[in-house]
Amino acid sequence: MPHFGDDEARGLIRETYGQVRSTNAAVAEALYSAEELAALPRETVELALGVGHPVRHAALRPGEVVIDLGCGAGIDTILAARQVGPSGRVVGLDMTPEMVARARRNAAAAGHANVEIREGLIEDLGLPDASVDVVISNGVLNLSTRKSRVLAESFRVLRAGGRIVIADLVLDEALPEDVLKSPAALAG
Amino acid sequence: MGFDAIKTHGRQPFGLADLTRYPLFAPDFLDFLSRVMPAHRHAELVFSIIVTARKPAAAAEAPGAP
Repeated sequence: MPHFGDDEARGLIRETYGQVRSTNAAVAEALYSAEELAALPRETVELALGVGHPVRHAALRPGEVVIDLGCGAGIDTILAARQVGPSGRVVGLDMTPEMVARARRNAAAAGHANVEIREGLIEDLGLPDASVDVVISNGVLNLSTRKSRVLAESFRVLRAGGRIVIADLVLDEALPEDVLKSPAALAG
Repeated sequence: MGFDAIKTHGRQPFGLADLTRYPLFAPDFLDFLSRVMPAHRHAELVFSIIVTARKPAAAAEAPGAP
């Protein structure tokens, strides 16, 4: 039985991610190459909060349309924008207003006019059917209380032959009840 | 669901030491985890994975589509 309802979970996640601050690049340096990081805005590097490198597995091609579910401060969105180039398009979607503002600032600083940052839920992508070539996500699906809905929405917006690349965390053994009830564990 | 070509890549253990890199977690929460999680799981609390999949080329793109 879930310990948090949809609205409560989203509120905790928005609060945690809205308030997060970082002055080091420890997470980014563990996941991305130095060459990739060198050309990115510092804020997007310091606020990399993912658990993998989905863009590395996405085999993006120039001209493709990508959506980044839970884009945070925009690191994967910007890396994807580089690969799809000016003829492509990347939509970064995040439900936390502070992250939306950061991602917009960082995409502009990186000089990518082919990036659009939207505020919204990953359970309701707000894009037409069959309008996306690639869905990426990094450490975000685990935060959703409706994971099946996220996957169904991803399937809906993908074109036939489109790809999905999800970096996330999985369990081999259940977590103790005290952890499952912890707001900090949920939001992290 | 309908995805095909589903593959899992790069399964890596993700433990307490990895969590310390993330500014999302306060020291008191990390202390809490180290107390409530069995010691044998401290280095493998969870696993990070990357999953890739594809929407079949022949998938109907809208309900009722031929």
